[in-house]
Amino acid sequence: MYNLFLCLSTIGMVALSWAQTSPLNAGDYFGDLKARHIGPALMSGRISDIELHPTNSNVVLIGAAGGGVWKSQDGGVRFTSIFDQYCQSIGCVTIDPSDPDNTYWVGTGEPWTRNSVSAGDGIYKTTDGGKNWTKMGLEKSDRIASIQVNPKNPNEVFVGVLGALWGPSDERGVFKSTDGGKTWNKLLFVNNTTGCSDLVMDPGNPSILYAAFWEFRRTAYGFNSGGLNSALYKSIDGGATWKKIEQGLPLGEKGRIAVAIAPSNSSIVYTVIEAKKKEEKGLYRSDDGGNTWKFLNGDFALTVRPFYFSRISIHPNDPNIIAKAGLFGSISRDGGKTFKNLGSMHSDIHDIVFDAAQPDKMFVATDGGLYRSLNGASSLEMIEDLPLSQFYHVSLDNRKPYYVYGGLQDNNSWFGPSASPGGVEARDWELVGQGDGFRVYPHPTHPNIVYSEMQGAEAIWRFDVEKQQLKTVKPYALEGAPKLRFNWNAPLTTSKHNPDRLYVGSQYVHVSNDRGDSWIQLSPDLTTNDKTKQNQEASGGLSADNSGAENHCTIFTIAESPITDEVIWVGTDDGNIQLTKDGGKTWENLVKNITGLPANTWCYHIEASVHGKEIAYAVFDGHTKNDYTPYIYKTTDYGKTWIAIATPEITSFVRNIQEDYVNKDLLFVGAENGLYISLNGGKSWSPFTNNFPRVAVHYLELHPTQHALVAATHGRGIIILDDIRPLRNINEGLLTKNLTFFETQAFTLSEKSNFGGTALNNQFVGDNPSGNAKISYFLPKRHTFGKMTGEITTLGGELVSKIEVGKNKGINTIEWGFNATAPKVAKGKGFAIAPPPYAPAGKYLVKITKGNEVFQHEIEVNYDSTSSFTMTDRLTQQAVTKEVFDMIQDLAYLVYQVDQWDEKALEFISKNSKPNKMVSGLTKDLTSLRNSLVVTTGDNYVGTAEDQLREKINEIYGTVSSYFGAPSSSELANIRALSNELNNAKKQFKVIQETRIKAFKSLLEKDTAIKMPEILSFEDFLKQ
Amino acid sequence: MKHILFLILLGSLFSNVKAQNVDDIINAYYQTIGGSKWENVSGLRMNAKVEQGGMNIPVEVVMLKDGRMYTEITLMGNPMIMQAFDGTTVWTTNFMSMEAEKAPSDETENAKRAAKEFPNGLIGYKRLGYTPTLIGSETIEGTLCHKIKLEKKTMLVEGKEVPNVEYYYIDKENNVPILTETEIQFGEMKGKISQTKYSDYQEIEGVIIAYSNSSGIKDGMTQTIQFENIELNPKIEDSKFSFPNK
Repeated sequence: MYNLFLCLSTIGMVALSWAQTSPLNAGDYFGDLKARHIGPALMSGRISDIELHPTNSNVVLIGAAGGGVWKSQDGGVRFTSIFDQYCQSIGCVTIDPSDPDNTYWVGTGEPWTRNSVSAGDGIYKTTDGGKNWTKMGLEKSDRIASIQVNPKNPNEVFVGVLGALWGPSDERGVFKSTDGGKTWNKLLFVNNTTGCSDLVMDPGNPSILYAAFWEFRRTAYGFNSGGLNSALYKSIDGGATWKKIEQGLPLGEKGRIAVAIAPSNSSIVYTVIEAKKKEEKGLYRSDDGGNTWKFLNGDFALTVRPFYFSRISIHPNDPNIIAKAGLFGSISRDGGKTFKNLGSMHSDIHDIVFDAAQPDKMFVATDGGLYRSLNGASSLEMIEDLPLSQFYHVSLDNRKPYYVYGGLQDNNSWFGPSASPGGVEARDWELVGQGDGFRVYPHPTHPNIVYSEMQGAEAIWRFDVEKQQLKTVKPYALEGAPKLRFNWNAPLTTSKHNPDRLYVGSQYVHVSNDRGDSWIQLSPDLTTNDKTKQNQEASGGLSADNSGAENHCTIFTIAESPITDEVIWVGTDDGNIQLTKDGGKTWENLVKNITGLPANTWCYHIEASVHGKEIAYAVFDGHTKNDYTPYIYKTTDYGKTWIAIATPEITSFVRNIQEDYVNKDLLFVGAENGLYISLNGGKSWSPFTNNFPRVAVHYLELHPTQHALVAATHGRGIIILDDIRPLRNINEGLLTKNLTFFETQAFTLSEKSNFGGTALNNQFVGDNPSGNAKISYFLPKRHTFGKMTGEITTLGGELVSKIEVGKNKGINTIEWGFNATAPKVAKGKGFAIAPPPYAPAGKYLVKITKGNEVFQHEIEVNYDSTSSFTMTDRLTQQAVTKEVFDMIQDLAYLVYQVDQWDEKALEFISKNSKPNKMVSGLTKDLTSLRNSLVVTTGDNYVGTAEDQLREKINEIYGTVSSYFGAPSSSELANIRALSNELNNAKKQFKVIQETRIKAFKSLLEKDTAIKMPEILSFEDFLKQ
Repeated sequence: MKHILFLILLGSLFSNVKAQNVDDIINAYYQTIGGSKWENVSGLRMNAKVEQGGMNIPVEVVMLKDGRMYTEITLMGNPMIMQAFDGTTVWTTNFMSMEAEKAPSDETENAKRAAKEFPNGLIGYKRLGYTPTLIGSETIEGTLCHKIKLEKKTMLVEGKEVPNVEYYYIDKENNVPILTETEIQFGEMKGKISQTKYSDYQEIEGVIIAYSNSSGIKDGMTQTIQFENIELNPKIEDSKFSFPNK
């Protein structure tokens, strides 16, 4: 017995010990805390690949550059995201031709290798049309350009892996699986800097493949396309052997190569080659399966920016109709001899597809979303349901609701509301900048003034939105001083201490105290000023590409302390972190104090803490050196020492950190693969995935008074966690209680109303935040067994309204729309709905009954102080609403009594063969009265009957109860009239009661076959 | 002896982490909700008051083992059938005319195919010829669940046969589903995922039923129906299910 007890004790202690040492895993307790998306979709975002179902024109798949995989089942009218839980950077999407309804492959990692491109993490497969996905390996592939599935053998899959962009890698080339993706063989590998940029399969003979290989490399300060290792290869034995194709094609150094086989005649093959010699760049055609080639065309449209525009598409039935991706996209109808541009749409075309069944129907993927044409791409319409916007940054203002401001890759700068009538739709967004947009800020005290910029600070604007006055306010180099070096995404920020102040970073910090009219250089060159990294003119390789995207040795982030403007932190793209504590007089480079950080790692963001001017967080991003390690550091002593707070739970590089303004241990990190949250100051992190895709988060901003965390994602637009306050209060102590309410601040009852939005059903509309009172609580485990209900009561316990309660493990949020209980309405024909009135401002109890336990929490409701209504207005409205509310219920009780007696009289008549004049008269009187009280005929549309008293009272009730101001004199007069009508009806009934009902009662007392009706009291009737 | 006892206890402590096949999981679920007692259940009548913006709308749902069903709401004291299936016809009430109307023939055909699923398709999968597959584990609302894919007979959508798949997420600790999912197959919402969450499981005459169901589109709004009363083997007039003669 002793031994058994010992054993039990031991097990118990083991379990207890585990429980005590196991840290709280925040990810288990996010509960119903859920993100919402507001897009926008009016400018959409870059799309890298389109795939059409081979026989069902309704099915369209797209792979977005940073926004995942989307599927339409109605020919492109509406799309659904089907890849949220996985890497959102997509290289290609391929439908298995032998199982096109179910089996799709996705290669992650965009192949259009611009500076801001995201990375992939392997290849995925679904066998149920996108509902479930399995990663099938190639985790180190970084970016996948093409997937080809043997139409006769779905287990045979070929993959063209472009490979790492920012460094050498061995996982690139052509891979093949013969077991449906379980294992892979590398069939063709050239070297660790040359990847497969295109791979195509002969549709009639799966043993024939063409593979294009491209030697390329990008750094933070340059791009090289081209080398002796770029080449086109062909295999005729299913990839077992490959032959380099050289006959008729340019020799020597080559850059990016694309290749396509005509579906209608596989002897005809086209290739576009980035050659060293200008006269050799362009389109080549072979009519003999690649044995011989003829140069056709070197037009600008075919040769521009090969790293970004490469794809060739060929008409399904006519091998002489070919389309080429490009700046505008172009199409040839003479076999490639001449081309014309596609119709008007967003520039920068990455993919063009023809519908096999109706080839004039085409889809085009651009930097600005997806376009559809029904006439061979002569004219195109934009698909408006794809919120793929690629934000670089976000800032917020203090309006209610607050507005968000940000710039987009190739899609200008914008601001829009976080909430709008009917939802946040395209019309809500206002354009405030051109080109590629980056950092956009409202003036801190005049939100009509907006600052924005375009790439490389080519322009910095101050825009008065109300007056529509636009001024360029960029700083210029001082006389005799070096030229200013601005990053592609140059730092621009406002000040917490001087509303007219602006900071801008080149290699220097520039400050303006007059909204950008004049500038002071506040620092020396804070970068490494490494001249070897400032040769952007040579960038591009075989095709010059000096766009400013590779500008380097620049300041990237400027963080003025929210506590004092004497303290300013600066991070540079070449790895410095600089601090001034005297408003810019002296600067110190602190990066030497950080251990474990590789030299020259890009300082992407510094968060100057609100919890102490000596506290800051610094985020470094090494991905441009092929280093995907997350680097996050915290200092509490002005940068003398730093501690690393990234843990292996963060599985990608990071770009941003946001501290909470209340709980210093609550931190948010924006990573390449989504949002992470720490509840313990960075000791552990959990990915947040409740309606938050694994999308690259470039910037995070926390609203200081409205408690919303707003994420600028590079592919899924703006994503918001509306209220992060519950996260501030999660701790291990909550695990020991069955239910714990979180603290709530007083709620504001909105007194606004509107007619909703105007968006059509093919347009994306961002969700609005809830305007309800939100009461949060914590459950240590999900409620599954037993009853759990909720209600709002007065402090005295009187029921106000029943409410739905959440039952998640962790955070749950009850929503209460400030409504009391609706009046009981008279029975009659049709819908005479009377909504509940609003509960007045005051204190209430939230009660949750869970099994036998009751938990309660006091809340307070206030009126909107910004509303134009006075308290007298509101009190009058409430009193009148109550009066009409009572009229509705009085009428309901009157009709109930009429019905009860009428029913009994009819029963009497049916059971007595001998006519009784008095009883017949009674039913006649009651029917007549009822017909004047409620509608008893007609339908709910154009066959409706004339309104009776119930309908009239309900109408005035709806008018009065839904408006927070005092009722008008007309409304009051109408109520008086209806009240008189009701009183008259009551009198009529009283007369009937005193005459025929009295006589009928006497009759029933003698007739034992029919029971006297049991008329409920008014109070019991209401409870019924 | 001491060591054997210790191992037994240790084994029981961690028994819920050992591998299970899909039949084990379904059987554990079936036993948890009453097992063979369900064989004596010929139908359910479930009553609720749905909260809709402060209004209490009485709802009655009746489901019979033979597939007949109806959902009735009461507005302004007037009961009306929202949807019913009498074994031959699915019908609804047009809210404009307040007249009964037949549902599209596809819908009726699909109701006929699902008629024998009482109490649900997973419990009776062998009898129904459905195929369950254990996909793996997934955390739902912080709760570790078995994810089971249930492939049913195809359904008819706009004249075409399409796959009919339902996913069950069964709470590993409690052996009951807390979530089911299906893909919407028609209309503007085609391709979206429809979800129903289950809680408030309670015992009634030996069987366990979820008294709270919350339905909606994944990541969207939900509507909860909290049953106040559930009656087993209710006596219902046949005419209640029937498409009214006009």
